[in-house]
Amino acid sequence: MTNAPDINLHFHQELDALEQVVLGVVDRAEQMVEMAVEAVTTGNLELSKQVIDLDDEIDRTYFAVHNDWVHLMARFQPLGSDLRRMSVLLHLNNTFERMGDQCVNIAKITKFNAGLPRVERIVEQIQEMGDLVRPMIRAAIEAYLRQDIEEARLLPAMDQPVDRLNANMYKEIVAVGGDPQQLEWATKMLMASRALERVGDQAVDFAEQTVYLITGERAEFNEAGLDGSADDDSS
Amino acid sequence: MTNETTTEEADAAVAEEQTVSLPDRADGSSSQSSARNVIETRGMSIYYGDFLAVADISLDFAKNEISALIGPSGCGKSTVLRSLNRMNDLIPTARTEGEVNYHGENIYAEGIDPVQVRRTIGMVFQKPNPFPKSIFDNIAWGAKINGYRGSKSDVEDLVREALEAAALWDEVKDKLRESGYSLSGGQQQRLCIARAIATRPDVILMDEPCSALDPIATLRIEELMLELKRDYSIVIVTHNMQQAARVSDKTAFFNVKLDEKGMRTGRLVEYSPTDQLFTSPEEKETEDYITGRFG
Repeated sequence: MTNAPDINLHFHQELDALEQVVLGVVDRAEQMVEMAVEAVTTGNLELSKQVIDLDDEIDRTYFAVHNDWVHLMARFQPLGSDLRRMSVLLHLNNTFERMGDQCVNIAKITKFNAGLPRVERIVEQIQEMGDLVRPMIRAAIEAYLRQDIEEARLLPAMDQPVDRLNANMYKEIVAVGGDPQQLEWATKMLMASRALERVGDQAVDFAEQTVYLITGERAEFNEAGLDGSADDDSS
Repeated sequence: MTNETTTEEADAAVAEEQTVSLPDRADGSSSQSSARNVIETRGMSIYYGDFLAVADISLDFAKNEISALIGPSGCGKSTVLRSLNRMNDLIPTARTEGEVNYHGENIYAEGIDPVQVRRTIGMVFQKPNPFPKSIFDNIAWGAKINGYRGSKSDVEDLVREALEAAALWDEVKDKLRESGYSLSGGQQQRLCIARAIATRPDVILMDEPCSALDPIATLRIEELMLELKRDYSIVIVTHNMQQAARVSDKTAFFNVKLDEKGMRTGRLVEYSPTDQLFTSPEEKETEDYITGRFG
């Protein structure tokens, strides 16, 4: 930052406020991941309903942020790092809204699976995925708040075990065997696994946006945590 | 809006239209310059008396591109613009050091005719300054006093071509004998652009050409600039950063530096592709200016 007087103070105050709202959504999404995993793995229908209600709030916030964003652009036409921050906030508003949607996808399985026999191995795997994904969201938030490129670059490595567990879920379902009810339950849990894998990807995407905000370079992380130009066709 | 034309602008406007004969564009006349650049300044410093207004400016202006000069008031961007066609010569105390090379030839070298320079490198001013004549004569009269000896139909063709190139023909074709002052501000500015085009320049300099215009007229001029760059190279000074972002290919940011004696001198801070300068400028000074953290 700079010690120069800010002659664009009103814009910067409004931009800071908008950023706080958007970051509030990802805080809420992090909380929703925990609630949704708890609901689907324990069959807690009340908790599942709370997740769905929280997503309704996120959806309302999404539209409010979009509205405020458009007005800020129209009024101030920002440039430089302000323009990058506006670009990142619009992208993140969308990403976080989808995180909320994935949590709803997980929570809704609670109702579909009510009364069906569980498979403990799969329950444990979903819990493990939740335990891996939430720290990813937290790390991405911290990297953004501290403008820490190195921390942002850790996200792809954190995502790898989540991807592996999701890939392994197919084998777990095949291993369930021939009980139709258990198979129905397990198949629904495959959707929960897929949703958690998507949330992990969204946390990586968040970190990529942080790197762009800091450097001005569009980059897409690869699995090694390094990044390549987003403009590179090979990426 | 007033239609008064200052003495300085009138002199300059006449000076830019000494003749309509095609200038020698000196294409490829020097192996020293890049064929892509129409103008290159090298170590250019401009003084008003003892006052150093801008110091050590080295800039390349590329062919068929729009280059924007931005910066706070007093940073010297208009001074730099006016040095590119020796318009500063009209100010008695002004003195330019260094080189301004047009296709490799220093326009400040001995023996160079400044009138020829201004014909080849035309200028459009902040305030539209049509002559107190008809729309037709604003273009034809300049041509005639500059020695144009074409037939009546040649002159009519010249007027039409210039007005078409300035995207004004359709609006004025039925009232060519009306006064140039009868036009709106935006139309007057396009008339002035048509007048500049009629001298077949290679480069057009524009000094805040939209600052006296409403937003619609501004957009028309900006659209026109984008059309004109197919045939001309354009350098524009603007206070409107969004305008620079909309129309230019490259942008130069100038700032004022105080020396130990408290003298305020304009210096070039950064010259980058416009997309880069307005999203990820290299210099913190530029970032501070374009985000308003500036004092």
